[in-house]
Amino acid sequence: MIAVLGLVLGVVAGLLVRPEVPAVVEPYLPIAVVAALDAVFGGLRAMLDGIFDDKVFVVSFLSNVVVAALIVFLGDKLGVGAQLSTGVVVVLGIRIFSNAAAIRRHVFRA
Amino acid sequence: MNERDETPSPKRTPGGEQDDTPTTRLRRELPQEVPSAAAEEPGAAPREEKDKQTGRQRLAQGLWPPRFTRAQLIVALLLFGLGFGLAIQVASNNDDSALRGARQEDLVRILDELDDRTQRLEEEKQGLEDQRTELENSSDQAEEARKQTVEKERQLGILAGTVAAQGPGITLTINDTKGTVEADMLLDAIQELRAAGAEAIQVNGVRVVASTYLTDSDEGISVDGNKITQPFRFKVIGNPQDLEPALNIPGGVVQTLEKEQATVTVARGDEIVVDALRAAKRPDYARSSSQ
Repeated sequence: MIAVLGLVLGVVAGLLVRPEVPAVVEPYLPIAVVAALDAVFGGLRAMLDGIFDDKVFVVSFLSNVVVAALIVFLGDKLGVGAQLSTGVVVVLGIRIFSNAAAIRRHVFRA
Repeated sequence: MNERDETPSPKRTPGGEQDDTPTTRLRRELPQEVPSAAAEEPGAAPREEKDKQTGRQRLAQGLWPPRFTRAQLIVALLLFGLGFGLAIQVASNNDDSALRGARQEDLVRILDELDDRTQRLEEEKQGLEDQRTELENSSDQAEEARKQTVEKERQLGILAGTVAAQGPGITLTINDTKGTVEADMLLDAIQELRAAGAEAIQVNGVRVVASTYLTDSDEGISVDGNKITQPFRFKVIGNPQDLEPALNIPGGVVQTLEKEQATVTVARGDEIVVDALRAAKRPDYARSSSQ
């Protein structure tokens, strides 16, 4: 419950404050958000599976974000930033889908 | 990266499931759902144990009642960050979204196109401004020409007697009770006035112009075919200081008339109004040769 509240508060704060995204962070933010979403879905699934561990969740969340940003950074340096971002988004999207499918089986039993 | 890759913590997953890989666990769990669903029916309730919770129950337990555990707070913090980033990204993506996702080459191309377009529009603007200046000049010239034409028309109208005129001048009144004044005497008076610089003349309501003629008729004198009788009242616009002496010179108009027993009075005026008009007549034969 507290976690859901945190998410809602974050969205509200982001909409209200509307801070200027620093130019350095700007290209990494979308990918980082997608990676974090993947981690959250993984965590939700783990919770439904009964194997949720907060330490694991924190580490996976942060490492997901960092690795995703790193990949984009590397891609930019190599000149394939756009393609690599697409690749990362596709991979994370597939993972989100599979996690969502597992969650669905738990929640709806179908 | 994902929870599934990690070793589950023992306290949450006691029993034989601890060593299961997630995939096998998922497959095994699916058949388990069926008895647990059936367990909700009355009579089967005792089979339900705390360790054999379904995912749905765990979810409900996590959601309510809210517990301020360390795990919940940490997860809330991370999710706050996620929501924050999500909102920022969505908000920043909403504005000028067309250019935000564009690649560098595209941006350079768009910039080039914009530069070209700006240049073209600038040239067009320059051309239109030139055109406007030209038109303004020509309309100014047309306006000036029109003004001059109007002015000229007015001047010529005064000469031709088609417009009224006013200005300083004199009034010449000839009382001819004996009937001795003849047309040639009035013509002399008119000639004298013209020679003295009269610009507009009318006699008893008849405008005197270049083509004016005077004839003697049975009872009086006719001017341009209009019969006039005494007293003959001349209204003359011109310089009074020229006109009056011109009439009064010895042996001039006044003396000649007085010799004929007529009474002549000359009065200066600052605002003589010559308002007798004459229809403009288009010449039948004479044509302007200047054009």
